[in-house]
Amino acid sequence: MGKRSFGNTNWTPTATGDTTAMANTTYQAIKGASATARNEVIEIYMAGMVASTSSPTFMQFAYSSTVATTPTALAAPAYDGPLDPAAVTGATVSFTASAAGPQRSVVVTVPRLNVGINAWGGIVRWVAANREEFIVSGAAATGGEATLSAFTGGTVGALNSHIIYEVV
Amino acid sequence: MPYQSNRSQEGYLLVDHRNSPGITQADLLTIPEPMRQQFMATTGVFESPTMRCSHCGTMVVLNPQRTRARGYCQKCDHYICDGPACHHSCTPFMQRVESTQEQAARLLNIKEF
Repeated sequence: MGKRSFGNTNWTPTATGDTTAMANTTYQAIKGASATARNEVIEIYMAGMVASTSSPTFMQFAYSSTVATTPTALAAPAYDGPLDPAAVTGATVSFTASAAGPQRSVVVTVPRLNVGINAWGGIVRWVAANREEFIVSGAAATGGEATLSAFTGGTVGALNSHIIYEVV
Repeated sequence: MPYQSNRSQEGYLLVDHRNSPGITQADLLTIPEPMRQQFMATTGVFESPTMRCSHCGTMVVLNPQRTRARGYCQKCDHYICDGPACHHSCTPFMQRVESTQEQAARLLNIKEF
């Protein structure tokens, strides 16, 4: 299937602890469309948008231990579309708001990617090697949903970001 | 079967704080333990390969200054992280992902009586 880019513009995460429901528009989440769905995250990119105040923002890409309920359809400036308009793309669920927010897993054996950034001018880009992607498998906890969100600490600041992923 | 270098398993992380104060040790102190150890202070540009542990799936940012040997599993011919559980037995992460998906697919085909 084709690769997709799921991004958001000038959004501000909120520092949220593990196993705490995230507030709307403070995260980017990817969830499988069904129990048999599989999404492979290939790239995460963030650019800080804060103009003049140091804003250490401890971002993490991590699995949810409690998945969001009733995700809200994406609204601009967030977007999610195929990188190749002609490609056949499978169904997935990407969202930044939901009826009950996702909760980041605290389990020590559950992987997460730490991508801390100072939102005053910082840039962070992570790219996976081929067949070494961050896998979002199924649609249930744990492993069926992953979020890009800020961990507790620091002084969060506005970001531009995108997640490139492939629905397998 | 084509030969593959283990370095082909490497991802890439760029943290560019050239136009930014970066993340200082003082900033790190605002993170509660034990997660504090998971982040690093960075100023300027930091580039490093990343590896996914073949057993637990954790994405590890490789420390360029590490001198001791890294974990390696001969069975799956892949990097493994320093977690003790990952050195006990070989149960590849991708095998677990695939078996979970297979289970889910089988459940879709159960005939109801």
